[in-house]
Amino acid sequence: MKKIGIFVLCIAVIACFSGIATAKTLKIGTMSPLTGPYAQDGTYILQGVKTAVKAFEASGGLPGYDKIEILAEDSACDGGKATMAANKLINSDVSAIIGCYCSSATLPSSIPVDEAGIVMLTPASTNEKITERGFKKFFRLPPRDDVQGWSAVKFMENSLKAKTVALIDDRQTYTVGLVDNIKRFAKETGKLEFVAHEHITPGDKDFTAILTSLKRLNPDVIYMSIYQPEGSLMARQVKQLEITSTLVTEDACFQPKFTEVGGAATEGIYLTFAAPVADNPVRSDFVKAYSKDWGVGENEIGSFSFFAYDAAMLVLEGVKKAGVEKLAETIRASKSLGATGEITFDEKGDRALAHAVWIVKDGAFVPYYNPLTDTMY
Amino acid sequence: MAELLLKNVTMKFGGLLAVDSLDLEVPSGKILSLIGPNGAGKTTVFNLITGVYKPTEGTITYNGETLNGLHSNKVVSRGIARTFQNIRLFNSMTVLENVQVGLHCRTKSGAIRALLNTPFLVQEEKEIAEKAMAVLEFLGLEEFRNDYASNLAYGNQRRLEIARAMATEPGTLLLDEPAAGMNPKETADLMELILKIRDTGLDIFLVEHDMRLVMGISDMITVLDYGQKIAEGTPKEIQNNETVIEAYLGSGGKK
Amino acid sequence: MDTSSFLIQQLINAIFLGSIFSLIALGYTMVYGIIQLINFAHGEMFTAGAFAGLIVLAGLQKVGFVDSHFIISMVLVFGLGMAYVAVLGVSIEQVAYKPLRNASRLAAILSALGMSIFLSNGMMLSQGVSDRGFPNALGWEGLKIMDAKISYGQVFIIILAFALMYGLWIFVTSTKLGKAMRATAQNKPMARMLGINVDKTIRVTFMIGPGLGAAAGIMVGMYYGSVRFDMGFIYMIKAFAAAILGGIGSIPGAMLGGMIIGFVEVGWSAFLPSEWKDVTTFVVMILVLYLKPSGLLGQSATEEKV
Ligand SMILES: Nc1ncnc2c1ncn2[C@@H]1O[C@H](COP(=O)(O)OP(=O)(O)OP(=O)(O)O)[C@@H](O)[C@H]1O
Ligand SMILES: [Mg+2]
Repeated sequence: MKKIGIFVLCIAVIACFSGIATAKTLKIGTMSPLTGPYAQDGTYILQGVKTAVKAFEASGGLPGYDKIEILAEDSACDGGKATMAANKLINSDVSAIIGCYCSSATLPSSIPVDEAGIVMLTPASTNEKITERGFKKFFRLPPRDDVQGWSAVKFMENSLKAKTVALIDDRQTYTVGLVDNIKRFAKETGKLEFVAHEHITPGDKDFTAILTSLKRLNPDVIYMSIYQPEGSLMARQVKQLEITSTLVTEDACFQPKFTEVGGAATEGIYLTFAAPVADNPVRSDFVKAYSKDWGVGENEIGSFSFFAYDAAMLVLEGVKKAGVEKLAETIRASKSLGATGEITFDEKGDRALAHAVWIVKDGAFVPYYNPLTDTMY
Repeated sequence: MAELLLKNVTMKFGGLLAVDSLDLEVPSGKILSLIGPNGAGKTTVFNLITGVYKPTEGTITYNGETLNGLHSNKVVSRGIARTFQNIRLFNSMTVLENVQVGLHCRTKSGAIRALLNTPFLVQEEKEIAEKAMAVLEFLGLEEFRNDYASNLAYGNQRRLEIARAMATEPGTLLLDEPAAGMNPKETADLMELILKIRDTGLDIFLVEHDMRLVMGISDMITVLDYGQKIAEGTPKEIQNNETVIEAYLGSGGKK
Repeated sequence: MDTSSFLIQQLINAIFLGSIFSLIALGYTMVYGIIQLINFAHGEMFTAGAFAGLIVLAGLQKVGFVDSHFIISMVLVFGLGMAYVAVLGVSIEQVAYKPLRNASRLAAILSALGMSIFLSNGMMLSQGVSDRGFPNALGWEGLKIMDAKISYGQVFIIILAFALMYGLWIFVTSTKLGKAMRATAQNKPMARMLGINVDKTIRVTFMIGPGLGAAAGIMVGMYYGSVRFDMGFIYMIKAFAAAILGGIGSIPGAMLGGMIIGFVEVGWSAFLPSEWKDVTTFVVMILVLYLKPSGLLGQSATEEKV
C-alpha cells in the first residue's frame, strides 16, 4: 500500500511540473521608482501597465499563452539601482521591459537590456541621448528633450517676449540635459539672456535663499528644470516671496500632484508637455479603465500612465501579431492608435511628437501655446 | 532602638567575599565609624545599604522596613543619604542647584503637575530655593551659591557633597571618607561640622581613614578586615585592641 | 529689490530655517545628553509629527473649524501632534533602548538604526509613498519690510519655535524635573542617590525631545506645504550636524548650532554659487570640530552632558 502511495505521489509531482512546462507565461518587466521622491510617478507607470494587461486579457488575451505576468522592479531614480533591476529582469527571462522614469536610470540600465537583445520601451525618460546610441530594440513613447527645450525657448522668446531668464536645475541627467537644450536653442537666436543658473538638491524643501537672489535679479522668466516634489514647493515659495517673474517648467511637473501640493501657487505657471491629443476611442477607454482600476477621478491620472499604457499595449499586440522573437521589428513597423495619439517610430526608436505649452488654470492643465505654429490654443 | 540594622549581610563578587556575614547597627543619634584597611569592604557596605548592590545574603532594615533590593532612589526617600569617596558633584550646575536637586525628592509635584500647574510650580520652586539656602547656610556655603560646583575649593566641594546629601532630609547620613584630601585645618572644621550635624538629631555612619577624626568624634567604632567584623567598641577600646593594631600594622599602619 | 531689502530677506530666510534646525537638533542633544545615544529614529519622529499634524489639521479644516477658531486649531494641531510623538518617543525608548541600556554602544546604535528603518517603512505603508499636500492654513499674506516679505505664517512659526526653546530653557534651568534631567545626564548613580527616579527622567526626555522634533515637523509641513514619509532624512542630517557643531549634549549648543547651519545654508546660496551649498554645512561642522573637538558650547567630553 505504501509503495503505491509513493508511486501516485510521484505521478502527481511529475504531472505538476509538466503542467508548468506546457503552460506558457508572457513576462513583462517594469522598472520605475516605487520608493523615494518619485515613487508617485513610478506608481503611475506601473499602474498604467497593469491596466493595459488587464484590458488586453479582457479582450481575448494572448493566444498560445495562458498567463501574462508583470514583474515590477524598483529602479528608484538611480542608475545603479536601475541596472541591478534590469539584470534581475533579464535573468527572469522577461520578453520586454517598460521603464524607467528618470533619464539617469534609463541611460545605464538600457545597456544590459540591449546586450541581452530584449525589447525596452521608456514611457517617461526624455533625455535625447537615450535614443542616440543606436540601440535596435529600444523605443521611447514621449517626445524628446531637444523638442521640449526648443518649444520652451520659442515660447519664452515669441509668446512671453522674455529678455532675461534664470535657470534652476537639480543636477540630475534629465534636468541638466533640458537646461543644456534650452541654452543651445537660445544661442541660435540670441534673444534670451541667462542672468543666473542655480542648482538645488533633490529632497530639499527650502529654496528661499536662491529665490531671494533671483528676486533681486528680477528676470522676466524663472525656468524650473526640476521634478514635481521640489517644483510644487518652489512654486509656493515664489508666491510667498512675491516674486513677479513668470514661472515656466516642464513635463516632470506635468502631473496632478504638482497642483495638488502647490495649490494656488501653481496657478498661471506654464509647462511644456506633449501636445494635446485629439480624443480617440483608445484614449477614452483607457481613461475609463484606469480610473475604475485604481479608483481615481478621470482627471487625476498621471500623465506618464498614458505612455506606460501605450508601451504595454505595443508589446502585447506585437507578441500577438508575430511572437516574441520578432517583437522589435513588429513594433518598429507598426502604425497604431494609442492613448497618446498615433504611434509610429523612426530608426532611433523615437516618435514624431510635438510639445505644446500648457498653463495651470483652476488647478488643471490647459493647452496654451503651440510653438510649431506660434499660435495660441 | 537602632534605626539602621544589618543582619548577617554577605556580598560576593564572583569568588571574592567582599562582605562576610556582617552584623551591625547604627545607634540612634550617634556617630558610628566603620574603619579598616584598604579593600576591607567599607564602601561595599555603603553600596549595599543604598541599593547600589543587592546583598548575596542577609537583611538590611531601616526603621523596621527591609531595604534589600530597593533602588537607590527609593532608599533615599526612606531617609538614608550618602556621600561618595570620590567627589561626585554636578559640575555644570551651580552650588545652589546641586543642593536643589537633593531637595527634589522631598517635594510633591509629579511630572505632569509640574508641567501644567505653573502657579503651583512657581510656589514650589520658591520653597525649594529657600530650603536650599537654609542648607547652604548651615554648611557655611551660602556665599558660593551661584558659583559652578567645579570652581569650588576642594574642601568646599566636600562640604557641598554633604550639603546635597543633607538636602534630601535624611534620618541617617552615610559619609564615605569625607576628610580624604583635606588639609588639617579643613579636617578640623569638618569634625566640628559632623558633630553639629549629629546634634540636629541625625544618625551618622562614617567611613574614614583619618584616625584623629575617627577617634575624636565617634561614639562607636566597628573594624572591618577582609569583609569580616574583627572588633567593635568605643574609640578607647578600639585603640587598645590587639587584633586591630595587628590588622592595621600588617597592612601598612595608620593612614 | 535693493541691497538692504535683499539682506533683510535673507536674514528672515536664515532665521526661519535656523529655528527649525534648532528645534530638531534639541531632540538629538537631549537624548544624547541623557543616555549617550544618537537617536537615529529622531528624523522619523519629526516626520511622524508632520503626519499627525496634517491629519488633525485636515480634520479641523474639513469641518471649517480652522477659519473660525484659528488659535484653538493651532493649539490642537501642535498639541495633539506633539503629544502623539511624545508617546511614540517613550514607547521607542521602552522597546528599543531601555533593554540595551547596559549593553554595548554598538548594540544601542544598531537598535536605533533599526527603529528608524522600521518607522520609516511603517509610515510609507500607512501614509503612502508620495507627497501629501498640507492644507494651507497660514495663507499667503504677510508683512513687508521695505521690499522684503515675511508671511504671517513665518512670523507665527518663528515665534512658536522661539517660545518652545525658551520654555525648554526655563524647564531645564529652573524646574525640579529639568534639574533632575541635568543631574541624570551628568551622573546617573549620583542622581539616583539623591532620590531621582532615573528611568522616569529618561522617559520625560524621550517625551520632550521627540515632541520638539514633532513641532518642527508640523512647522515644515505647514509652511512648505507637503509631507512625505522620507522627508525626515535631509533634516535629520542637517540637525545632527547642528547638534554636533553646537556640542552634542549641550542644549544652548543645539540652539546655536541650528541657527548657524541655517545661516550658513542661506548665506552660501545668497552670496556664492549654489553648486556647493550642501557641502558647506559639513565643511563648517568639520572646521569647528577641528578647532574645538567638543563643539562650540560642549564641554570636554566626559563632564558636561546637558
Ligand atoms: N563591583 C565590584 N566588583 C568586584 N569586586 C569589587 C566590586 N566592588 C568592590 N570590589 C572589591 O571588594 C573589595 C572591597 O572593596 P571596597 O571598595 O568596599 O573597599 P574599601 O574598604 O572601601 O576600601 P578603601 O579604603 O580603599 O576605599 C575590594 O577587594 C574590591 O576590589
Ligand atoms: Mg572605600
